[in-house]
Formats: sequence, structure tokens, C-alpha cells
Amino acid sequence: MSVSAPAASTLFAELPEVRPSSFAQWRALTGRIVRTMATKGELVVAVLTPLVVTVAFYLPLRYVMKVQGIDYAQYVMPIVVLQTMAMTMMSNAQLAAFEALTGLSTRLQTMPIGSLVPLMSRICAGLVRSVVSLIATVGYGYLIGFRFTGGWLQALAFCGFALAVGIVLTLGADALGSLTKNPEALSQALTLPILIFGMMSTGFVPEASFPAWVRPFARNQPISQFAHTLSDMAAGHLSWAGTWVSLVWLGGLAILFLPLAVWASVRRS
Amino acid sequence: MTTMDTTERIQPPESVAATAAELPVVHAKPEGSVSVWFTHSLIQCKRLLMVWLRDPSTTIQTIAYPAVTLLMFRIVLGDSITAATGIPSIYGQAALLTLVAAMTGAVVSALGFKREKAAGLLSRFYTMPLNKASLLTGRLLAEALRILITTIIVLLVAVPLGFLFMEDPLTNIALIFVPVLFGLGFAVMVTALATITEGVMLISLIGILNTLLMFFNTGFVPVFAYPTWLQDVVANQPMSCAIDAMKGLSYGGPVAEPLLKTVAWTVGMIAVFAYPAIVGYKKAAETS
Repeated sequence: MSVSAPAASTLFAELPEVRPSSFAQWRALTGRIVRTMATKGELVVAVLTPLVVTVAFYLPLRYVMKVQGIDYAQYVMPIVVLQTMAMTMMSNAQLAAFEALTGLSTRLQTMPIGSLVPLMSRICAGLVRSVVSLIATVGYGYLIGFRFTGGWLQALAFCGFALAVGIVLTLGADALGSLTKNPEALSQALTLPILIFGMMSTGFVPEASFPAWVRPFARNQPISQFAHTLSDMAAGHLSWAGTWVSLVWLGGLAILFLPLAVWASVRRS
Repeated sequence: MTTMDTTERIQPPESVAATAAELPVVHAKPEGSVSVWFTHSLIQCKRLLMVWLRDPSTTIQTIAYPAVTLLMFRIVLGDSITAATGIPSIYGQAALLTLVAAMTGAVVSALGFKREKAAGLLSRFYTMPLNKASLLTGRLLAEALRILITTIIVLLVAVPLGFLFMEDPLTNIALIFVPVLFGLGFAVMVTALATITEGVMLISLIGILNTLLMFFNTGFVPVFAYPTWLQDVVANQPMSCAIDAMKGLSYGGPVAEPLLKTVAWTVGMIAVFAYPAIVGYKKAAETS
């Protein structure tokens, strides 16, 4: 190396001055994830999975629920939507775990990047996936006979609330992924809660179908409450009395998950 | 022994020479012989079973998940389905979950196969004087034993949920072997797919297929609950045939017809996928 000291100081002189912008960084990192989703077939999976879930819940149970006098298409769509959000949560947990595992997160921490930018970009890319899945899910719902009967304002509230649930779940999943750094184990660990909270829910079958001992849990657990709020919004029965429990659950989960996600993402390991 | 010549030159201590002389002479059997194939299959089978037993995620996925899912199905849907159809739902659900355990196990095992290929263990086996067919037969034998174990566990979990065995022991043995029969066909198919496709594709492919099959069979809800246009497909898919046979062997009902259909499906799957599985296995071992 024969480069002398004065030459080194003038080496970068012609380069423009660097002005790190967190917004541009966020845009670049989000675009990176979204591009991968679009080109690696993940968005196709995000569109197809809700179809499988809708068909798998609706067709076999339609008859069983008709016997109990329930229009199952209208009844089950909120839980299908929440299941869709759980899929986003799963993908984001994988993504965070993968970025932590391969050292990308550590590397980004050593660079002049806003400390919250990687987390924000993962969450926003997850939001893109959620929106795509949600549109697809509502479309499938309309095919089997689900309808928004409360006007467009409440329909928008339905989508907004569903996405809010998705974001809060994604925050928790992101924290888990960053902390465990193990995509495989994480997908196994998350399958069980999704199964239990999704199925043992009064959004899946009516409360009277459950054995008496499990009803208090099934009625009050967050997914049931979210499902009821969503179904109220779809039917246009949105009321404070039917919503505040959901909002408390959602707020509580957000208070728990948001600091956890931030801590897991910015801490140096 | 020929080593005697070298000992004179190297001059090892007396004790070493004495031990070397006492080593038994090994007559290697030809790799291809039937008895070697049998012994090596047993060794491979034992190896895989121990790998699975010592890997907690395998145990959780093949035993805990089906058991918890069965519990969920029974709690959430059991009473609704029983009330709507008049047939206790647990017989269909228990049968369904024994098959789900067999299928999940096959996928976990296929992923293990991928890991062994990536780590070079497979090609290492291929350079050793062992029976090449035993790699595949040992794996299938291990699959069969694993399915037998998970089936018994799932059925035992079903008992407190209302599942009753028949009194005749022969019927119960037949009952336990239906999932093994079904699972073997499925395992051959998954092995063939695992040797051809890449890992990630395999999981999402079989994952979506499994989800669909899990909800569209006669064990989840009876066949008449499905829309009319779908009933023929649901009633004749391989899981439904096995479930109907198991229902017949536990709750009562026709056995011969669904059992014959299950055999037909298994024979068919093996006929179609055995050759790709063998070729794929060979190729995976030679090229990894």
C-alpha cells in the first residue's frame, strides 16, 4: 500500500456530503422486504392462505352451524380475518428471527441508521402483507356470502381495527423473533397459541357449543373479543359497550409489546 | 496375518502385538445379501428412531400437536357436530388426528432427510460397505414404528374424551394398523417429493395440502355435512377411506369397503412414488 496520508484525506473530497435521512433509510429497508415478498412468491402465499382458511372453515361447518340457526359465512369471517393477521405475525416473526440470525440486525446497528428504522421497516412491510391478505380475505368472504351491512364507515372501521390487531401482534412477534434468533423453533412455538386462541374462541363457534368449564375463557380471551367487535362493525352494530373490552385488550397488548419490540430491536447483543 | 511382517520392522511393545493377534477375523458378507439388507435396515431404523426421540421438536410436532388439536376439536366442535349429526364426533376426530400425526411425522422426517443430505451423511453412507437399499427401507420401517407409537398415544388421549375401544383385541390391532398402512403410502410420496424439491417449497406445498385434507375428510364432520358437489371428493380421498375404516373398527359400521379403498390408495401411492423415491434417494446420496 503506497497511498500516502495526504492522498487519503483528499480521496473522498469529491464525494457529496452524506446526509443520513431516517425516512430514506426506512423507505429503502421497507422496499427491500416488500420487493422480496413480491418476487419470492410470499405475496402469492399471502393471497392464497386466506382462501384455504376460508374454505376450510366455511364449507365443512356450514351445515353444522345451520342446524343451530347461524349464518356461518357472516359469523366466521372475523375469525378468518384474525387468522390472516396471525399469518402476518408468523411471517414477521420469521423475518425478524432470520435478520437477527444472519447478523443483518447487528450489522445495521453498526451503521449510521436510525435505531428504530429496521423495526419500523419490518412492521411496515408486515402491514403491506396484511393489507394484501385483508383485501383477499374480504373478497373471498363476499364470494361465500359475507356482507358489510353497516355502511362504508363501519366497513372501514372493520379494516382499520383488523390491521391494528395485526400491527400489535406483529410487534410482539418481532420481539420474539429478534430475541430467539431461531426461525424454526419460533414457527413451532407460535403454532400452538394460534391454534388455541383461534379455535377456543366464540368467534369460531357460539359460546353455547363449548363445555361449561371452558366458556369463561372462550368468551373473554382477546381473540373472541376482537372477533365480536369485528362482527359488530361488519353488521353495523358498532357500540361503545361492545367495543371497550376489545380496545382494552388491544391497548394492553400494545403497552406490553411495543416497548418489548423496541428493546429487542435496539439492544446490543 | 499379514501384519506380522510389519511388526518385525516397527517393533511395537509386546502387549500391542499380543492384542492385535487376538482380534477376531471378520468375514464380510456381500452388501447386497438379504440378511445384510435386513440387519442394516434395522440399524438405520434404530438410528432414525433415536434421532427423533432425542429431538424435542420432533416429539412435540408428532405427539403433542396432534394430541392438543384433538382436544381442541373435541372441546370446540365435538358437541355441535354430535348434536347436528347424531354420531359421537370423537371417533372421527380421533381417527383423523392419528392420520394427521402420521402425516406431520412424515414431513418432519423429510426435513430431517434434507438435513442429512446437506450435512453429507447420506453420501458418507454411500461410500461405506452397507446395503444401499437399507437406507430407504430402514427409513420406512422407522416411519411405521413412529406412526404406531403416535397412533396409540392419540387414541389413548381420545379415551377420556369419550372414545371407546371394541372388546375384540384383533379388531383393535387392526384399528391401530390402519394409520400405519395409510402413513406408509404417504411417507413414500413425501420421500419422493423431498428428494426432488427444495426444502422451503416442500413445506409450503405439503402444508397447504395438509390443511386442506385436514378439513375436508369424513373425520372432521360426516360426509353429508359437506356441499353435495363436494361429497364424492371428500368421501373418497385417502384420509377419509382410512378414517371410515377406523370408525368401522371402533364405533361400528362398514369396514371391508373403506379398508379395501385404503389399501388401494396405499398400493397406488407406492406404485407411483416408489420408483421416484428410490431414484431420488440414490441421486441425493451420490450428488450431495
